[in-house]
Amino acid sequence: MSKKNTSAKSEKLNVGVYGITGCAGCQLSLIFNEDEILDVVNLVNLKAFPFIKEVNIDEQFDCVILEGLVADKGDLETVKKLRKNTKMLVSLGACACTGCVPAYRHFTLKENYEHLLYKKMEEIEDVDPTPIDEHVQVDYYIPGCPPDKKEIITFIKSVAKGIVPRPYQSPVCVECRRNGNTCLLDSGKPCLGPITTGGCDSVCINGGFECWGCRGPTKDMNLDLMIKMLRDRGFDDKFIQDRMRTFVGLKLPMLEKVMKPGEKPDKLQTQFYGEKIYYG
Amino acid sequence: MEKKRLNEFLLQLSKSYELIAPVKTDVVRFERVKNPETIHLEKNAYFPLKEYFFKKEEVLFTFTGNKIQETTLSSPKRAFFGIRKCDLNAIHHQDIVFMKDTQDPYYIAQRKNSLLLGYHCPSAPSPYCFCGSLDLIDFFDLMFYDKEDHFLVEVGSEKGKKLAEKYGKLFSPSTRLMTQADKVIPGADRLDKKDISAFYDHKDWKKGADICLSCGACTALCPTCYCFEIHDEVKAENVNKGERKRSWSSCQLQEFTRVAGDHVFREDREERFKHRIYHQLEYFKEKYGVQMCVGCGRCIDGCPTRIDFVDIINKMEHGKEETESKN
Repeated sequence: MSKKNTSAKSEKLNVGVYGITGCAGCQLSLIFNEDEILDVVNLVNLKAFPFIKEVNIDEQFDCVILEGLVADKGDLETVKKLRKNTKMLVSLGACACTGCVPAYRHFTLKENYEHLLYKKMEEIEDVDPTPIDEHVQVDYYIPGCPPDKKEIITFIKSVAKGIVPRPYQSPVCVECRRNGNTCLLDSGKPCLGPITTGGCDSVCINGGFECWGCRGPTKDMNLDLMIKMLRDRGFDDKFIQDRMRTFVGLKLPMLEKVMKPGEKPDKLQTQFYGEKIYYG
Repeated sequence: MEKKRLNEFLLQLSKSYELIAPVKTDVVRFERVKNPETIHLEKNAYFPLKEYFFKKEEVLFTFTGNKIQETTLSSPKRAFFGIRKCDLNAIHHQDIVFMKDTQDPYYIAQRKNSLLLGYHCPSAPSPYCFCGSLDLIDFFDLMFYDKEDHFLVEVGSEKGKKLAEKYGKLFSPSTRLMTQADKVIPGADRLDKKDISAFYDHKDWKKGADICLSCGACTALCPTCYCFEIHDEVKAENVNKGERKRSWSSCQLQEFTRVAGDHVFREDREERFKHRIYHQLEYFKEKYGVQMCVGCGRCIDGCPTRIDFVDIINKMEHGKEETESKN
């Protein structure tokens, strides 16, 4: 075993874990794998992980896992540089995949948030908060706010083993019923589980809290029906729209079609990322 | 058996068996019971029993490179009490799949030492029940018929007979023979047409599919559905080492019909919806000679939008009569 490990050292995957604007919760999710994190550090050549590492080598990666979204010029430069330096770029977490809460700014008028921007800190050059794939090509997405901790490790293991990471595209309900939960929609809660991609082990519903859709829509979701069900349960369109936009507003296709026209900026591509969602 | 003797019987039984029976929590569930007084017999359980035999997730074997290490299977001694006729038949149908058609060691290990003690519904416990419309059989070790002040207990197997003899003190012998009338469950025959082969191209399937979220709740709650998927989980210390796991899946998911070459062969929601109903009422019968559906109504009760396929089929049947009579 030890012999194999030393000979394979040069063949180890060069991995970098970075974060741009975000809460760092997704990087923490990775670290929270206490039982396996040391094995993972051995499994790959962890060249850079500025969040926990003192010495970081900033070039030539096989795989870069990137948390956060582009919110200022500095982020944009980081993203472009990392893309140039890596063979595979992975969006980690809802901000990186869909824009999440920071991108909610797109759905409100400028007057509502302008006074909150950094007026006194002029060195921060603000840009419209956007997910990574609006700027560079992304190869894989690990969605969730935050992603399931086991899922990030499984992803790294798959890449290290050389298998194509397997996408998980079934709705949250599948795991939810498997976990022995009854339907929250039946008790009148606005649960978005039926249209949301699972892989989270229905963690919110296990705790009695409805799904907000942080992992993004399933490929074959029945959005019209979901909206009808929420309306039938007494939720108004403003509420439904707000709830659906919270985590995936920028990437929820058709929402504008089904509901009242929103303020979605034209310059954003409505690229559907469901195809590449990863879960192991 | 006198009603007050039941708890005594179950308590004694629980000394040598793990007793599993319906208990009311937020809904009624089959759970390990220590105190028989907590058993709830008014309503049927929201979740089926199948998870005790066909597990939600099962480690099939562990591997290191190409070497396979089989998992050791334990055979717990379990007594299940309060199983309705529908669920007993569901166990029978899963036995066909996992014990007759194939010899599934994982299922057999869980199933082998189980005791099936039925409870015959005095009336349909849910408005969605339709077991009376299907050809259900007697399949139990002991069956308890609720007769107001006492239970009539019918012996259904050698195992059941031995059990009744062992606890003979608690039972009083009866010469009464069970009649067909005893076995009818009032209010549970709402499916008007069992043979749905003629309706395959009927346009009304779309009505069900339109209000389907493809969430898979129906198949997870179905006591007979047995589709699964298999995946590997490798270890970080050595990615050539790991476990192969089997877990429940559902024909309602687009992902389930994805095959090699990234081809999805039932892409359309209506096709998937229809496939489930046809598998339940037609395909299983073609293969094993018995309809798979047992009429428990869980797939309707647990559906977020309450898609009632029984109602859809009934309307197809009666719609047909209307057009025929018009002609």
